[in-house]
Amino acid sequence: MAVSQNKLVQWIDHRLPVFTFLDHELNEYPTPKNLNYWWNFGSLAGVMLTIMIVTGIFLAMQYDPNVNDAFQSVERIMREVNYGWLIRYIHMNGASFFFIVVYIHLFRGLYYGSYKAPRELLWMLGVVIILLMMATAFMGYVLPWGQMSFWGATVITNLFGAIPGIGKDIVTWLWGGFAIGNPTLNRFYALHYLLPFVILGVVGLHIMALHQHGSNNPLGIDRKGPQDSVPFHPYYTYKDMFGLSVFLLIFAVFVFYVPNLIGTDPQNYIPANPLQTPLEIVPEWYLLPFYAILRSIPSKLLGVCALFASILILFIVPWLDTSKVRSAYFRPVYKWVFWLLVIDAFALGAVGAHRPEGIWIVVGRLGTIYYFLHFLVLMPLIGWFERPLSLPPSISEAVLKKRGGGALAGAAATRAKP
Amino acid sequence: MKPRLVVPALLAGAVIAAAMLAQPAQHARAQAADAGAPPLPDVSWSFDGPFGTFDRAALQRGFQIYSQVCSACHSMNLLTYDDLAGPNGLGYTDTAVKAIAAQKQVADIGKDGQPIQRAALPADHFVAPFPNENAARTANNGAVPPDLSDIIKAREGGPRYVYGILTGFREPPKNVTMRSGMNYNLYFPGHQIAMPQPLQDDSVQYADGTKATLPQEAHDVVTFLTWASDPMTEQRKRTGAKVILFLLAMTGVLYGAKRRVWSDVEH
Amino acid sequence: MADSAHSPTADAHATGGTRRDFLVIAGNALLGVGAAVSLWPLVSSMNPARDVLAAGAPIDVDLSGLQPGQQIIVLWRSRPIFIVNRTSAELKKLQEPSDTGLLRDPKSEVEQQPPYAANWHRSIKPDYLVLVGICTHLGCIPEFTPQPGGSLGPAWPGGYFCPCHGSKYDLSGRVFNGVPAPYNLPVPPHHFVNDKTVRIGENPPNTAWEFSSIVQI
Repeated sequence: MAVSQNKLVQWIDHRLPVFTFLDHELNEYPTPKNLNYWWNFGSLAGVMLTIMIVTGIFLAMQYDPNVNDAFQSVERIMREVNYGWLIRYIHMNGASFFFIVVYIHLFRGLYYGSYKAPRELLWMLGVVIILLMMATAFMGYVLPWGQMSFWGATVITNLFGAIPGIGKDIVTWLWGGFAIGNPTLNRFYALHYLLPFVILGVVGLHIMALHQHGSNNPLGIDRKGPQDSVPFHPYYTYKDMFGLSVFLLIFAVFVFYVPNLIGTDPQNYIPANPLQTPLEIVPEWYLLPFYAILRSIPSKLLGVCALFASILILFIVPWLDTSKVRSAYFRPVYKWVFWLLVIDAFALGAVGAHRPEGIWIVVGRLGTIYYFLHFLVLMPLIGWFERPLSLPPSISEAVLKKRGGGALAGAAATRAKP
Repeated sequence: MKPRLVVPALLAGAVIAAAMLAQPAQHARAQAADAGAPPLPDVSWSFDGPFGTFDRAALQRGFQIYSQVCSACHSMNLLTYDDLAGPNGLGYTDTAVKAIAAQKQVADIGKDGQPIQRAALPADHFVAPFPNENAARTANNGAVPPDLSDIIKAREGGPRYVYGILTGFREPPKNVTMRSGMNYNLYFPGHQIAMPQPLQDDSVQYADGTKATLPQEAHDVVTFLTWASDPMTEQRKRTGAKVILFLLAMTGVLYGAKRRVWSDVEH
Repeated sequence: MADSAHSPTADAHATGGTRRDFLVIAGNALLGVGAAVSLWPLVSSMNPARDVLAAGAPIDVDLSGLQPGQQIIVLWRSRPIFIVNRTSAELKKLQEPSDTGLLRDPKSEVEQQPPYAANWHRSIKPDYLVLVGICTHLGCIPEFTPQPGGSLGPAWPGGYFCPCHGSKYDLSGRVFNGVPAPYNLPVPPHHFVNDKTVRIGENPPNTAWEFSSIVQI
């Protein structure tokens, strides 16, 4: 089955079947036809990873990872390098938008049960990607060597000192010195350049795992036959491109008009001063909920444990949720509890942004308790005791029903366009 | 169509609410020691908004104030004299900039290897008032006057905050004890600032004849400092307009394409 | 669409009209244009930045200490610039036809110099020679050997000798025949701001000439 009549394509494909591969993945790969726009966020994440790598490489051509020059090398990029300001603002806001996209992608998975069998490994690879993203973003924020870079790095690396016995040695090892300094900056630069390519590799595995069984869908029921799916190309390629265009519009508003609104702190425009701590040390917004969990526990060691537990718990979600039904669409109780988690995430984010005093301590503790309660107690219990709605027999029948009729499907196709 | 938008709209609202909730934390930092600090002065700027630009006359007046008043203590190390010329500059010609630079002396090494002073060239960075931080502290009672290159980006509240500082010096209220050498300022966190009031009415005589009241001087120097923090602002906004127009068009076309592609499938 | 057994794409092609193709083609075209335009800032950022260009600004060199027969070397745009104060004897020799017969490009026909230096002394003032001191063969820095004869043999009129591969130039930087170097040594834009100061990197007032039009630096 030739992919193309073109002789050159055939010559290459016979030796390295890239074209057959692409044809299979794009033209033949069956995708459920009822995916909604929440399914755009996976491809958006892929696009953001590409944008971050490309802008990052061009920034790396001009950046100087030495404590005496790092800050002014970034300012030089903004002021002297042709379009440096644009590349830097895209990279800076791109990090925030990458996290927005990935968090939405994650919550989509939680709502529709995309983590359930046979997609457990797909989900766990996703959690690995988020962990790598957090490490990459944290190290990237250190590179401009502003006040927040330096002090944020100091606080977060000091966390490891909580490990009993070897903690202090680990921190010294991370620093490469007696405090955050030039050795730390250099190694963070090396790792910040490396990890995105590790992410790229894990994304490859993530997509391989996805293609093994195909995408989940809003109904959470398996594809029963070809009437339930469409080829990925052109249906989802064009839907993804449209979604990308909308996303880029919003991204462009931030990059060009409010580039310093999210993703950076005014204090980071002050060069790092090891002798002066800022009044508030706040990590980037995408780390705030985890920062809130860390601070809500009075003990240093337990706080660190809670912080890591809050991320690691995501790995076992496929086994914590005991429901036989995937999609929250058919789960009347879990559907509402899911939104509690969303509100909890925002609340914890707000807590992380404020000083730990007054009402914020209470909200932080309640939010942390709810977070672990949600995964460790509610997910298993609701799964066991909930009575799910009855599932439709197939995707195509559910779609037809929604569109208002089976026998008159042809008329429905023309009538039901919104 | 509408029910499907409810969830995204709620989420967008939640995100905006969260962003606004996060802001007060930073205000809280700025007003750390005094919950009763007044809100920042409400001043409008020529560069406000997506179509705002820099008022070149204000920029030049502001540069005059920096040169004649502020540069005695504050460096602006990230700017070079030739930043003042060109399309993203203050509207000075290359010749004018050469003359401005030549008025300053720069430390350099002479042919014989000994340190010398020479006239600054346009490519030189703005000459700093002190050779290093220790010298700056010694001359200023132990406090370091911060470099002003990025000051607008480095302070919560940006232009309004710096305008507030410049116009916010007052006699301390009865119940406040000033530490030695400090000055009372309405907007500075903690209200005690090491800098004495730098500007008054008629601190400078404007080259273009504008009346130099304190609000006018503050307005002009903040305009200049905002430019200095981000000289590419106007080009950025112009490019943004073109990009967004293009993306709006492309979004429309791609939406049509998507609808067309899907027109033959029940979904 | 009751019969959904065959692939929707086949149906689509059957029902598709010009409108679908137009939107799809237009969409792809806009995406392509957008992608191409987005590449430009990245490529442009690799060009010399403003401060790098500013560092290549003209420099003024004081010639008051330069004795006849001497050469000094200064750096302009990271390249060595030879400035020679030629003696009248050397200048006379440069005009002798026996010497010019040995040269590959005695009339400086190849554009290795600005128009105001396309003469036998390859400079503005005959006394002072200004050259970019980089051999046009493979880029080494030639040695200043103004003395005739010596280790280069009795026929050596004086000039430059490149130690890497033996290229030779006369005291106007013109390359000899039979050596690996193909072109005369380049002359940078320059002019005299006063009798004792030469500005390297700037043409005389009211002349325009691009240094980038040099054939081989």
